[in-house]
Amino acid sequence: MPALRSTRIALLIYGLFVICLLYLPLISVGFASISRARYISFPIRRYSTQWYGEALQSGTVRDLLVTSLSVAVIVTICSVIIAFFGALAFARYEWRYRTVFQKLILLPIFFPQTVLGLALLMWFNALGIIPTWKTAVVAHLVWITPIATLIVAIRAYGFDSALEEAARDLGASTRTILREITLPLLMPGLVTAGLFAFLLSWGNFPLSLFTTGADSTLPEWLYAKMVSGYSPLVPTLGIMSVVASIFLIIISFAVIWLVQKSKALTQV
Amino acid sequence: MTSEPLLRLQGVMKRYGDFTALHNIDLDIQEGEFFTIVGPSGSGKSTMIRLIVGMDEVTDGSIWLRGKRIDETPANLRPTCMVFQSLALFPHMSVGQNIEFPLKLRKIAHNQRRARALELLELLRLPPNCYAKRISQCSGGEQQRVALARALAFDPEILLFDEPLSSLDYRLRKTLEKELKDLHHRTGKTFVYITHSLEEAMVMSDRIAIMHNGRFEQIAVADEIYSRPVSRFVAEFMGEVNLFDVEYRDSVLTSSDLTIRPNNAAKADPADGKGQLMVRPEDVRFGKDTNDFDYVLFGQLMDEYILGSRIQYEVRTAAGKLVTVEKPREDRTQYEIGSEVILGFKATNTHFIPAD
Repeated sequence: MPALRSTRIALLIYGLFVICLLYLPLISVGFASISRARYISFPIRRYSTQWYGEALQSGTVRDLLVTSLSVAVIVTICSVIIAFFGALAFARYEWRYRTVFQKLILLPIFFPQTVLGLALLMWFNALGIIPTWKTAVVAHLVWITPIATLIVAIRAYGFDSALEEAARDLGASTRTILREITLPLLMPGLVTAGLFAFLLSWGNFPLSLFTTGADSTLPEWLYAKMVSGYSPLVPTLGIMSVVASIFLIIISFAVIWLVQKSKALTQV
Repeated sequence: MTSEPLLRLQGVMKRYGDFTALHNIDLDIQEGEFFTIVGPSGSGKSTMIRLIVGMDEVTDGSIWLRGKRIDETPANLRPTCMVFQSLALFPHMSVGQNIEFPLKLRKIAHNQRRARALELLELLRLPPNCYAKRISQCSGGEQQRVALARALAFDPEILLFDEPLSSLDYRLRKTLEKELKDLHHRTGKTFVYITHSLEEAMVMSDRIAIMHNGRFEQIAVADEIYSRPVSRFVAEFMGEVNLFDVEYRDSVLTSSDLTIRPNNAAKADPADGKGQLMVRPEDVRFGKDTNDFDYVLFGQLMDEYILGSRIQYEVRTAAGKLVTVEKPREDRTQYEIGSEVILGFKATNTHFIPAD
């Protein structure tokens, strides 16, 4: 049944409203990043790209990026590996404490991140570990791995367990089943989980604030600059970070697409 | 049945916690046989083939293949193969890759694998261009054939089927039943087939086993099971049936449900006791005279159902029992619904089922 004309117009207006709400703040930050002024002020009188040039040359910015990137990459790799096995336990196998596990693994997500960060900091202190970006990796993992596990588990739920049984029946060993059946079928879930893990780690502030010690990630630095001594580099770095994230998403989709295409070709 | 069986189950038992899925099963299956196990859901038939292929472990008893004990061999090392109810085709592989999967595991060269896969496509009457198709691009019937081809590529000693046709529509199912029977002839393999559809079992099988509550009720050829069921369960499971409570006393049959003409009262049934007299609806006739029959019933015609080539009647007897009568369409009776009728049947068409 086609929708009424008035319904269609209402839906269109609602859709535009939501899009504005989501993207206007981002656009205003974008404008701020190309303002020449030292302070955020509207309307912008003179435009300039000088802060982008400075950001690219700044040693501080490079250190921030290296730290943030190291944390995010390690968190991504570790959380995806843990999530793969966690999701199998979560969704695929019947075992005694499965329901308990399913609830426990969700708990860290519901913990306020600031509280979680403080708790972890206290633990590190109690254990005599000096917080650096490496302890932040652990902190991020505590919060991000459950999310990655859930993402992979959703994929694992749609998985017919007869496929693994059929492979075994046809002569495959446990390792072969993992390599030929389980891993390829869960791959889309693993890529999505990796993407989420990276972006959540890259943009995380509350956990990093407590657990990086003397090191600083990009969100931490942005916050520090907002609180004490605003720098026009703030919107510039913010925009650069968003653009980099968008690139990452595009690249990962391109990789998935290429892999599927090459598979289709080898089959012919 | 003098030769050594291909497959032998000896006292096989399977328990899940307190629930016993299979009780002390003994079974011999001969080489080249098409053996079908029929039973309602939960009767233990799926459990049994899962034990044979090694998806589940027996609680007690042993399974032998060509005189070698296999129940402790892991599933991937047993020379058995199963076609799953869901078919379990690998969705991330093409048709060709699916069929070649067992060959690839045996490290057979690529071109040989391909040749074998194309051979199997032909055997199953699939066009060669199917080879490169994705599983999702295949129709239901094609997927069935691909699953069969993959199982045949494995070249098992015994091929097991877990209701693979149950999700298909009627016409396609009929076609595939015949193809499966034909395939059985051409390959000479031993097939063990599970279904809850009696019709499917009758079309294809050499022998049929009726399973109920984790036990075999009867194992025999289709006709034997149909005309001489050993129990009420089998009789009712094998299609429409009329059952009358009867009793043999000193080899004389008595019944409150039936009028029994004196000369036919005695039959050569061995034991005295209570039981049920079975007659299939197609053996019950309408008559004008009680002399036409050995057993007679008086009743009122309640309803008429047209079932394509056959017509079914429902008659309520004086004793209040509903009796089903079936006739070919061209023999449609002239009686009006609601009229009084005389029904009867011959002693040779009856079968006595002793009470348990």
